[in-house]
Amino acid sequence: MSSLLPTTEAAPLARSRSYGAIVWRQLRKRPSAMGSLGIIVLLALVAILAPFIAGEVPIRWVENGQVSWPIFRYLSNGEYAAMLGFALVLLAPITVRLLRSGAHRAGTGGWRWVFLAHLAIWVAVAVSLVAWREPERRYGFYLERAAEAESAWFPLIATPRHPGYESVAHRDEAPSWRHPLGTDRLGQDIVLRILYGARTAMTIGFVAVGIGASIGIVLGSVSGYFGRWVDLVLMRVAEVFMFIPQIVLIIIILAVTPSWVPPLWAVVFVIGVTGWTGYYRYMRAELLRIRSEDYITAARALGIPTWRLLLRHAVPNGMAPILVGATFGIAGAVFLEASLAFLNLVQTPSWGELLNDGRQHLEYWWGWASAGGAIFLTVFVYNLLGEAIRDAIDPRLKI
Amino acid sequence: MKTYIIQRLLLMIPTLIGITIVTYFIVRLAPGDPIEAMIRNQSGNIDPKAMKESAQKIRERLGLIEYHYLRDRLFGPEKTWKEKPTGVLFGVTDAADKVASAAVGYVQWFGHLCVGNFGESIKYRTSGGSRNPLLLIAERIPVTATLNIIAETLIFVITIPLGFAAARYQGKWFDRASSFVLLALWSIPAILAATLLIGYLGLGGRGLEWFPIGNLHSFGYEKLPLGAYLKDLLWHAALPVVCLVYGGLAYLAKMGRASLLENLRADYVRTARAKGLPEERVVYHHALRNSLLPMITALVLSIPGLIGGSVIVEYIFSIQGTGLLLVDAAKAYDLALMMAETLLYGVLTLVFLLVGDVLYAWADPRVRYE
Repeated sequence: MSSLLPTTEAAPLARSRSYGAIVWRQLRKRPSAMGSLGIIVLLALVAILAPFIAGEVPIRWVENGQVSWPIFRYLSNGEYAAMLGFALVLLAPITVRLLRSGAHRAGTGGWRWVFLAHLAIWVAVAVSLVAWREPERRYGFYLERAAEAESAWFPLIATPRHPGYESVAHRDEAPSWRHPLGTDRLGQDIVLRILYGARTAMTIGFVAVGIGASIGIVLGSVSGYFGRWVDLVLMRVAEVFMFIPQIVLIIIILAVTPSWVPPLWAVVFVIGVTGWTGYYRYMRAELLRIRSEDYITAARALGIPTWRLLLRHAVPNGMAPILVGATFGIAGAVFLEASLAFLNLVQTPSWGELLNDGRQHLEYWWGWASAGGAIFLTVFVYNLLGEAIRDAIDPRLKI
Repeated sequence: MKTYIIQRLLLMIPTLIGITIVTYFIVRLAPGDPIEAMIRNQSGNIDPKAMKESAQKIRERLGLIEYHYLRDRLFGPEKTWKEKPTGVLFGVTDAADKVASAAVGYVQWFGHLCVGNFGESIKYRTSGGSRNPLLLIAERIPVTATLNIIAETLIFVITIPLGFAAARYQGKWFDRASSFVLLALWSIPAILAATLLIGYLGLGGRGLEWFPIGNLHSFGYEKLPLGAYLKDLLWHAALPVVCLVYGGLAYLAKMGRASLLENLRADYVRTARAKGLPEERVVYHHALRNSLLPMITALVLSIPGLIGGSVIVEYIFSIQGTGLLLVDAAKAYDLALMMAETLLYGVLTLVFLLVGDVLYAWADPRVRYE
């Protein structure tokens, strides 16, 4: 008869859901969130696999009966590292799921171990690549000899990438099968420029926001938790950076950056270092609230060292606004980078640069339209995702 | 109120000093050769040998020995510092020496600032000598201020009804549609919008030639009567203002919506409804007025972003405002001008924030500052 009275029976304890899992379930219900997340993954994939989509180095090449795979010799170490990193990120949820049952019984979350293991793999591979591998750089070798090969698998859009091999004969061509988005003033394929622009945008978005958010989280948690003069001093410092408009600060820093700094890293660094104040404010406000909560008092009474208290209890509970802010922040960083390239303040392969090229010649609409469309799509998708995450976490969050 | 304003003004001083420190040390401590940076700004990364050669050429052609002279005038002579006793004291490494001399240089520079000496501009120099950056900027402030004030007013006027309507019809199609459209507008890059507006609506463009590009006034505008003057101004400012406004709508509309929703759930609204007031009066007379307060703060906080955005808009429309001056200064490596500009933007933002806070204190009787 016990089956008729399920309430009296001691039900097995439901597995407690972590905060992240709750937010993820909320997100899963929203088509806009899932759609934008899908597009973001797709954009990242396209950016990472750019040489397979457009370029001049064939994937497979058969000559005199000998089969070779040239593209793998040409891919740079950075490209290999990025591909591996992306694969590991995609694999992480699967590994976690596999590990979860065992880890749960052992009383640890699977995430930390999976994260550390993946990081270790990635670092090991990246270091050994840089140490031992020298990528091939002979451009303009295969495309001209395509007729001599018995079989050649070129990227979808076979077009020269290296600046020395642009064919001026093909300049300002309208979209065609050969060049799906047309060509620019120098005869370079626009798909190619969009793809490499996507790389720049993705790098800027993730790395710059990562730098900014890290600075903001560290300073914000210290400032909010300790209060008093630490807070007073840090808040004044943050105000200084808040009151100079970010773009002004960026323009003067870029102007005085020495020429040996690679432009991409200069922009990443500058956007990151000037953009931390928002994250700082969110983290500080969260910790001001959290530090008077009961569980913090309890943890303190147990004698947990302060760094552990901050790292394990206080900061993770204040991450919600940071997450939302960072998603909007990526959109903002993409905007900023495009604007800087447009203003000609940096020379990176960027969508902003492409837009600037098309500015004087609106009749060749394919150039500026694809660049503008790419910026719009990326920024819109991140903004949609940011809104969805905010609504999932707390609709009243004021960000 | 008067003591409050004075208090706030005094609190601005440390921030202002912080802004001068940041500005000074970014420009001063940057490594590398400015002339090479200038070449890179103009022609991209070229190989080191070609870089050295063209740097030498530029030095000879433009007489940029004068550049170093001006830099020394701005920062204090750098070389002599190593020979002085303090230089030995800090001279453990070259970097420490550099920092030490920069610190002393900062004090000198700050002293000059206090008496209105902002150094000399390299880019804008005439036969009579270089010009004080302060004067250069002062000439252009009215342009930037006009643009931003028109844009800010428009944003406020548009977003308040939009946000409040979205809150009233929460979850209905108007709410969803407006939030989607505003989000999409927010995501359109200003550089694209400006390019298209200039190309297809601007005079000399390819489409309808409706609006002039490049300045805020026609020739001989000083003689126009007030009405015609304003019309002329709006005609010139229309396109840049559109570029400044459309992206700023989403954030403020969202704030307005959240603010009204919060008030509609408040106890006093329930009381008002319970005593039988018509819904219209509850919303428009009670809830709405209270919802306006946080909007003031939100608007004020969005000002630095707007002013920053006007740098790009001024550049694209080639409007002779402070933003274009900043970009020009950066490209010409004009240190004195860049530093003066940064200070100006800092001060401008501070003043706007002060005005916002004062407005808030004036509008909300609950706010009482000691």
